[in-house]
Amino acid sequence: MAKGESLGEFEYLILLAILRLDADAYGMRVRREIAERTTRDVSIGAVYATLDRLEAKGLVSGVLSDPTPQRGGRAKRSFHLTGAGIAAVNRALRESQSMLDGLALPLHGGAQ
Amino acid sequence: MNPPVLAHALLLAAAGDSHADLVAGDLHEEFLSFCEQRGRRAARRWYALQVLRSIPALLELRIRSGELVRILLAALLGVALPLLLLDRLWSFVYSQIPLKDGLDRDPAFLAANVIVVCICAAVAGSMVRTASRAAVLSLAVMAAAGFALWVSVGSAPAAYSCAVLLAAPASCWFVHRKWRSR
Repeated sequence: MAKGESLGEFEYLILLAILRLDADAYGMRVRREIAERTTRDVSIGAVYATLDRLEAKGLVSGVLSDPTPQRGGRAKRSFHLTGAGIAAVNRALRESQSMLDGLALPLHGGAQ
Repeated sequence: MNPPVLAHALLLAAAGDSHADLVAGDLHEEFLSFCEQRGRRAARRWYALQVLRSIPALLELRIRSGELVRILLAALLGVALPLLLLDRLWSFVYSQIPLKDGLDRDPAFLAANVIVVCICAAVAGSMVRTASRAAVLSLAVMAAAGFALWVSVGSAPAAYSCAVLLAAPASCWFVHRKWRSR
């Protein structure tokens, strides 16, 4: 696997958030999903920068919708995973599970 | 209910053309729901904080898309290069006149520099499509003019430097506003 194909931690979280949100996966919802599930307060700029990177890698693709009054008359862009994106998530899951195999979880001794 | 004007303007200036509307729309939507849940004041604070925290990522996006590089190139080729060429031209002219070589430039030469640089900046300003891009171009024009003044061989009195540094970005912005409002 080439170096550029591996997923960063935040990229992985964003792909999972898109999968969870299904058809309603756009910048603000992705940001909120990650914030609620991981208690990380991520900025909307970071979400869009990562979505742009994932799109450049061919892992997600976006569809522009019509403008709405709730958005101040602006359009929104919903994202979904491509085949390569689904394969990347499956690969990351396999790698993660393989690394966790045999470990006694949860780990003890870390900061609370 | 509208988000804070200054933070919104900052967001539009930082985000590139391709992302400004998307990010502003998302923040607007969340701002409205935040207003209902926690009140307008907290929502405005949240919005401003989101914009400030998003700026590095939005600038990174803009650099990656090549937009900032194009703007910088336009400022360097459109403003710094003509200013440097004029400087060399006046140096050559002065060197051809006996006893004039090395003397301070005549104000008429400096005025010609200001006029040419304003015209070049105005042409660049008329070519950009959005206010966000025009704002960044104006800043780039100021930086390019400053760079040209710094590396020029001729003398640059303070009044002349100020005129170049202020008039060039102002004409870029002014022409953009006038051109686009037609």
